[in-house]
Amino acid sequence: MSNETEAVIQIRNLSKVYRDFWGRKKVQALKSLSLDIHKGEVFGLLGPNGSGKTTTMKLLLGLLFATEGEIKILGKPASDVSKNERIGYLPEESYLYRFLNAEETLDFYGRLFDIPAAERRKRTDDLIKMVDLDHARRRQLKEYSKGMTRRIGLAQALINNPDLVLLDEPTSGLDPLGTRDMKNLIRKLRDEGKTVVMCSHLLADVQDICDRIAILHAGELKVLGSVEELLKKENSTQILTSKLSPEAVNDVKAVLEKHNATIESIDHPTSSLEDLFHRTVERSIERPGERFVPSGEPKNEPAEETAEAEST
Amino acid sequence: MTIQPADFDLAAGLLQWGKAMLSVISIFLGVALVAAVTASGKKGLFTVLDGLIRTVRDFASLSPRRVLAISRLTFKEAVRRKALLVFVVFAVLFMFASWFLTGESHRPGAQMKVYVTFVLTAVSWLVLPVMLLLSCWGLPEDIRLRSLHTVVTKPVRRNEVVLGRILGFSAVGTLILVVMSVTGFVWVQRQVSDETDLTCRVPVYGELSFLDRLGVPTEKGVNVGDIIETRSFIEGGTNATAIWKFPIASQPDELRLESRFEAFRTWKGDMEQTLRVQFSLVNEATGLKVPLPNTVNIAEFSTNEVIVNKTLTYKDNITGKDVTVDVYQDLTTDGTLQIHVQCLDRNQYLGMSQGDFFIRLADRSFATGYFKAVAGIWLLIMLVVILSVTASCFVKGPVASLLVFSLIIIGQFFHPFMAKILNENPEEKLKGGGTFESIYRLVRHMNETTALPEGFLTNTIKAVDGALVNCLWLVQHIIPDLSTFKMAPYVASGFDIPWNGSMLPAIVITLGYVIPCLLIGYFSLSLRELEAK
Repeated sequence: MSNETEAVIQIRNLSKVYRDFWGRKKVQALKSLSLDIHKGEVFGLLGPNGSGKTTTMKLLLGLLFATEGEIKILGKPASDVSKNERIGYLPEESYLYRFLNAEETLDFYGRLFDIPAAERRKRTDDLIKMVDLDHARRRQLKEYSKGMTRRIGLAQALINNPDLVLLDEPTSGLDPLGTRDMKNLIRKLRDEGKTVVMCSHLLADVQDICDRIAILHAGELKVLGSVEELLKKENSTQILTSKLSPEAVNDVKAVLEKHNATIESIDHPTSSLEDLFHRTVERSIERPGERFVPSGEPKNEPAEETAEAEST
Repeated sequence: MTIQPADFDLAAGLLQWGKAMLSVISIFLGVALVAAVTASGKKGLFTVLDGLIRTVRDFASLSPRRVLAISRLTFKEAVRRKALLVFVVFAVLFMFASWFLTGESHRPGAQMKVYVTFVLTAVSWLVLPVMLLLSCWGLPEDIRLRSLHTVVTKPVRRNEVVLGRILGFSAVGTLILVVMSVTGFVWVQRQVSDETDLTCRVPVYGELSFLDRLGVPTEKGVNVGDIIETRSFIEGGTNATAIWKFPIASQPDELRLESRFEAFRTWKGDMEQTLRVQFSLVNEATGLKVPLPNTVNIAEFSTNEVIVNKTLTYKDNITGKDVTVDVYQDLTTDGTLQIHVQCLDRNQYLGMSQGDFFIRLADRSFATGYFKAVAGIWLLIMLVVILSVTASCFVKGPVASLLVFSLIIIGQFFHPFMAKILNENPEEKLKGGGTFESIYRLVRHMNETTALPEGFLTNTIKAVDGALVNCLWLVQHIIPDLSTFKMAPYVASGFDIPWNGSMLPAIVITLGYVIPCLLIGYFSLSLRELEAK
């Protein structure tokens, strides 16, 4: 979890104004943003399009220059190239060299970090296996699907075993399985003590994996805090039990009324669609040709017959 | 073609380079300081200082491994984007070239000249545009597709990107050039029936002066009516003499004198009869004059060769006895051998220029001369790549291509014009002043020799013209003189390429552009926002 004493990223009064060729102000993308991101936390930057989250990310990386304010990353200013030794970056879209294959891509980025050849080969192998691209390691990236491109993009971001990982829309373009793997990987990075900063539109993903979030709107910081605290409903209580009989429910209601509590809803809790999807795929792999019934055991009829029955 | 190149003055060249560099750096620093102070006040000074410190740090920590990684990437990129398809064009050219280039009526030497010129021209015309386009479009495409973002977010300095790109494209150019030039070499050898036609002569040129028909020293010989006077003529049967002074650095057992004079006949005579010429070796200090034993019959439009042995025997006019002298001991003064040339046929004229007569040292192999010319093309490719990559750091591909193309055209053809404007040639001194003075004279109907009236206006006009001339001086020194790189004519004419007059300046010019271009590229990439909207 977050270590309050060590800020990996310090942003103070950061502003960014985009100007046209003549130096006239076009748009103010960021207004006096100040925040700290601590070691070992997964931090989410949220906001609608044009809110300034990608601008913040690019300012951190030195791809843009701040109009005002100060940035310190790993104790160094954003303009200091040497800070990149300990940073991994996955851009919003994968801007990798499309004429290289997966092996060559990782080898190239490894060389940029001056990683010795033997170590580079090992990391290349490990990362290709980790992102599940072993079957396509010799194919040029121009032949990759969007999901595959994201995965090799992630692998290149981790080639230097970074302390700080910046992920711009890490789950965009990934199927649910890929998304789950990506989220697991981010959790793993956090467990290894690395700091992860991500920006995403997919709020469910952010909620799943982020420790703290900042919500930006029109270039201004609107909300900053831990996900748990921000989402907690202090004036409600939730009790989750095993399935109750109607009589038991009535008894519970009576007790609650006795304590002047208002019952807002009593229902069976649902799992997420994501969980259902994963369970379905896993069962399908285990028992091909059988239809999966989420609530219990699989039906013993062939999938084709079921489809026919449904259509009639 | 001038066969007598001036020796390259390395010290003066370095001095000029230093002056041009200092001028550019001063202008750049001045502009940066003014801009920074205007934008941020006192803080601007520190920003500029910080930038300078960062520049020094970035250059000090330049990593060869990262540079190599980027150059490997550049090489792969060019190969996988089918840049090597240029070989197909080359192959097609050579499949059919001999159909059009072989002329049976040509003399062997002329035929060899056609082949060699074709090969070297084809190679440079194919490689240069390919390299120009590749290196002008590489970086801008990287920036447009944002692939460069994944590189500069690694610990990669901007100078490493520029240097890596330059080296990568240079490797591509080198590969293409090597394959093409070796193929061309084999092709030329197969085309030429007689191997002896492929010569690579090493000439030693001398200083030329004249005596007129009365034996009085004169600057030039006779002009026989040529509008462009490339050759001066000496009158036959008189005291008119052409005097050559050759520097003697080595003492071979025999000296090969090669000449290619032109005849001008004032009467027809016997056209089968060639002109008779007398060569004499003269010791300037002692006045000893030793005529070569036989007069030489000079055939027009072809090369004439005279062999002079180390020891010569002549009949002394006073004693009537034969006297033997050593060419190097008795006829050479302070390392200089003087040779007098006289035409013996009365009323016929013999024309010559400095390059028409030389001492021919031991020949080099044709391959030596040919691959020296290829080295000249290679240096030009390097220069084009350096300029293109630099331009691509601050403008997009099409603009960079146009910019470098313009530089090549100006560098190839406009240096003499700029020298003329800058009054660097004393023989072609411009009259009428600079731009504004000329306009003033035109408006006031003043001719170019009338003195301008003294006063503020004249001073202002002269000051502005002076500033413009300085700007032109800077432009002249910034844009490379590419005529230096043109070495093919030497080889095509059967000569070796002189090191000091041609190879060395080409190398120095190319190297001279590396540091300033690297700096410009570095600052262009460092000072721009790669992600700017």
